[in-house]
Amino acid sequence: MSQYKPKVVCFSCKFSWGYLADEAYLSREIENWIPIICTGKIDTTHIMDAFEKGADGVLILGCPEGDCHYQDGNYEAKKRVYLLCRILESIGIEKERVKIELSSDPEGRRISKLVKEMKEELAKLGPWKGNVVAEKMPQKKEIKAGRGK
Amino acid sequence: MAKPKVAICWLGSCGGCDEAVVDINEVILGVAKAVDLILWPVALDFKYNSIKPMKDGEILLSIINGDVRNSEQEEVAKLLREKSQLVLAFGACACLGGTPGLANLRTKEDIFNWVYRDAPTVVNPEGNYPQTTTIVNGKKLTLPEIYGRVYALNDIIPVDYYLPGCPPPPHLIMAAISAVLEGKLPPKGSTLAPHRALCDSCKRNKSKPERMAIRDIKRIHEVEADPDVCFLAQGIICLGPATRDGCGEACMNINIPCRGCFGPVEGVVDSGAKFVSALASILDVQSDEDIERIANEIMDPVGYSYRFALPSSILQRKTGKNK
Repeated sequence: MSQYKPKVVCFSCKFSWGYLADEAYLSREIENWIPIICTGKIDTTHIMDAFEKGADGVLILGCPEGDCHYQDGNYEAKKRVYLLCRILESIGIEKERVKIELSSDPEGRRISKLVKEMKEELAKLGPWKGNVVAEKMPQKKEIKAGRGK
Repeated sequence: MAKPKVAICWLGSCGGCDEAVVDINEVILGVAKAVDLILWPVALDFKYNSIKPMKDGEILLSIINGDVRNSEQEEVAKLLREKSQLVLAFGACACLGGTPGLANLRTKEDIFNWVYRDAPTVVNPEGNYPQTTTIVNGKKLTLPEIYGRVYALNDIIPVDYYLPGCPPPPHLIMAAISAVLEGKLPPKGSTLAPHRALCDSCKRNKSKPERMAIRDIKRIHEVEADPDVCFLAQGIICLGPATRDGCGEACMNINIPCRGCFGPVEGVVDSGAKFVSALASILDVQSDEDIERIANEIMDPVGYSYRFALPSSILQRKTGKNK
């Protein structure tokens, strides 16, 4: 059987990540890379959409703290990710599947490295399980048969 | 000319939706004159067996409320789908999964063990659990099989129209029924309620400050909420921004924040995720520790954001199609 290869969708803000690099080259290099303008634009529904379409994890790369071109977009994204992670955790989904990093790399060399790191982490977690309930659905053995005696 | 046939049926439901149909008061007499009610388990004595010999599509409209969690509910839903031209998912449970959908946070085994073994009020020394078949005195007794999770109606059968709410308010019920009878229906798949968010029609909307910034999240019983001021501006979680309008603001009028029974607004699939976005953007916090503190102040975040919609959320749909 082929080894499980996790899929990671990476959103990165163009103001700090890879703006000096050739975008066409980077997008060939990094699978599912979506350069955007400001991470504050990323709604939780976009993250969910990525999951629905088959992503195992979502990585968001925003500008360094205090450096947002639009005042606080990176911080807005961070708050969303934090709240979403709490929801994921309570539903029984590993919070490691959504990650945000606020930093900067104009040449974009670190993007593929970070994506690779996340993929390795997700490979340890295994495939998306959805939630505990869906996972354990077909079990019937634990319930005793018959009417006691 | 024969009157059009209408069926009203409950699946995994509390009966509140059937009550809501009765709540349209004397108008129901007019409806009863215009249509032939052929099934309404909660109010009239018709049997499922009287539906089975009918021709496909013989029923004009089936109004189905409640979610699907066992084999009987699935069978009834499929039977009505086969015999009906139109199926209306009625109420939050049928449309979104409803509050019973929160059971999806636990496994079936957990629930059975608690209900039949571990709950302090249970005395069950023989360890009896409900079985799908049991032999008593040589006779076979059967029960429906309980599924591993709760499903919204459209996970089981195709649904033509949706009318959310817990329960749906009388004015929308009347509008829906008259639209069917007069044939003035929107495209299939529509929700028969306004498309905007509740905040759009909320009287408290004017009271909200220009830039919302909340530093603490409070629960409604912990404070005396001002009846004229936006709940979110007071730091009380209200699902108005992510919830469809049309309920008549029954909760707002008695000073209780919105809990989201009308489900997501038009074009949104996952109301909980949308609400998380809205809530995050009005939190006025500066440091990581602050985010942590305020996020931990929210008791039961899933219960707040998915109170009526957990089974229809993307997080559940992703792997939850199988039974």
